[in-house]
Amino acid sequence: MNYSNNNGLLTVFLSGRIDSSNAESTEKELLSICEAADYSEIALDAEKLEYISSAGLRVILRLRKSEPTLKIVGVSSDVYDIFEMTGFTEMLKIEKAYRRISVDGCEVIGQGANGKVYRLDADTIIKVYLNPDSLPDIQRERELARKAFVMGIPTAIPYDVVKVGDGYGSVFELLNAKSFAKLLIADPGCIDNCVMLSVELLKKIHGTELNKGDMPDMKSVALGWADFLADYLPADQYEKLHSLIAAVPDDNHMLHGDYHIKNVMLQNGETLLIDMDTLCLGHPVFEFASIFLAYVGFNEIDRTNIEKFLGISYETGKEFWEKTLREYFGADDVRCAEIADKARIVGYARLLRRTIRRDGMSTPEGRAIIDNCKAQLAALLPCVDTLCF
Amino acid sequence: MEIIKSISESTLNIALQGRLDANTAPELEGVLISSLSGITGLVFDFSELEYISSAGLRILLIAQKKMNTQGTMKLRGVCPAIKEILDITGFSDILTIE
Repeated sequence: MNYSNNNGLLTVFLSGRIDSSNAESTEKELLSICEAADYSEIALDAEKLEYISSAGLRVILRLRKSEPTLKIVGVSSDVYDIFEMTGFTEMLKIEKAYRRISVDGCEVIGQGANGKVYRLDADTIIKVYLNPDSLPDIQRERELARKAFVMGIPTAIPYDVVKVGDGYGSVFELLNAKSFAKLLIADPGCIDNCVMLSVELLKKIHGTELNKGDMPDMKSVALGWADFLADYLPADQYEKLHSLIAAVPDDNHMLHGDYHIKNVMLQNGETLLIDMDTLCLGHPVFEFASIFLAYVGFNEIDRTNIEKFLGISYETGKEFWEKTLREYFGADDVRCAEIADKARIVGYARLLRRTIRRDGMSTPEGRAIIDNCKAQLAALLPCVDTLCF
Repeated sequence: MEIIKSISESTLNIALQGRLDANTAPELEGVLISSLSGITGLVFDFSELEYISSAGLRILLIAQKKMNTQGTMKLRGVCPAIKEILDITGFSDILTIE
């Protein structure tokens, strides 16, 4: 019997048939593997399991008594039927094997850094990931999308995860929609309407309350950014930054985390959200920090960035950012500028950490970004007493 | 999509035929907005529904939220393909499927 131990997840691979002729020896072998291994969770991989009889099921029952975290993965539909008929699917976590899908001959409709998007049929697309180790990320994104979907956030249905060759893919509903970026490029005059619709959806996201732990907490992520900067900022600035973030009240409302005109789509007059892998929860200041970066912060040093990334000019990006604040808060320019400063503090902290971590010190552009972030933080931090609004 | 509506006392029955997608969801939403007043039981008959998209699911969610405040909502005649969509999306947990 083969097994693997991956960061405390012990996986034992079952194969062939488990019936009265080999149940006893299977059980002995399983127990000796468990005894020798150091693990916190255990899974039985049933991809090669062809049949299991009642004697085999009793082995699993006994194992579960001593291993409450036991789950069974990669189960073929024949074996799944057995687990289902006997009520096992209600007692323990049993996951079906992934469907196998071929994308040969499918039309490529998109390409990103992580993979390709194909049209599967009239109603579905498939996002195929280049990295064969991306399964945990795929499942994470799907789980976040699913949670948001049942909370009423308009997005594409995340169907199942499938095997494509040696890698994995994620099947989604095909939306007949255009991104706000495309709409803006085609007609720059629609900016006010795009701002209005995107703010309407943003408020819906921010009005959705979750349970703590449903999604990552942005405040603790942001505290991590501040901690990283302890070695790179003057002590008084680091302390101010850290205490400002620490003082943001805990908040269980949903944030998108990467909200910009490429991730908001329009379908029959209805706004839809895509790219759900950054969903998190927390105070809206963290959302506005990332919106500021997308439209302004990432592009201050190299203004052509935004053209490559969102397809609009630096000026249009800035206009979109300012109009978004006005529409969201219904406030005058002075108040909006105050709110923007709070978001900019968090934004520059994130951009500074990110640039340093990506070895920005070794390139002229990286150094310019780092210098700009530091100068902006030095000017902003003394003027702001709270990040709340 | 065809929407066949019938009311008996305070129960509204809605049978759907065809595809409930982004093109047809607004029509169903319109029917619900104009007919839910005073309704304490809402029953969807899905036996002739062939497909449901996210736009259709969102209408079900809106209807369920509304019915939570004034009565009950049930889905009937759900075929395996649509049941699978409801399972995958987690909607089976929040809707009553007979």
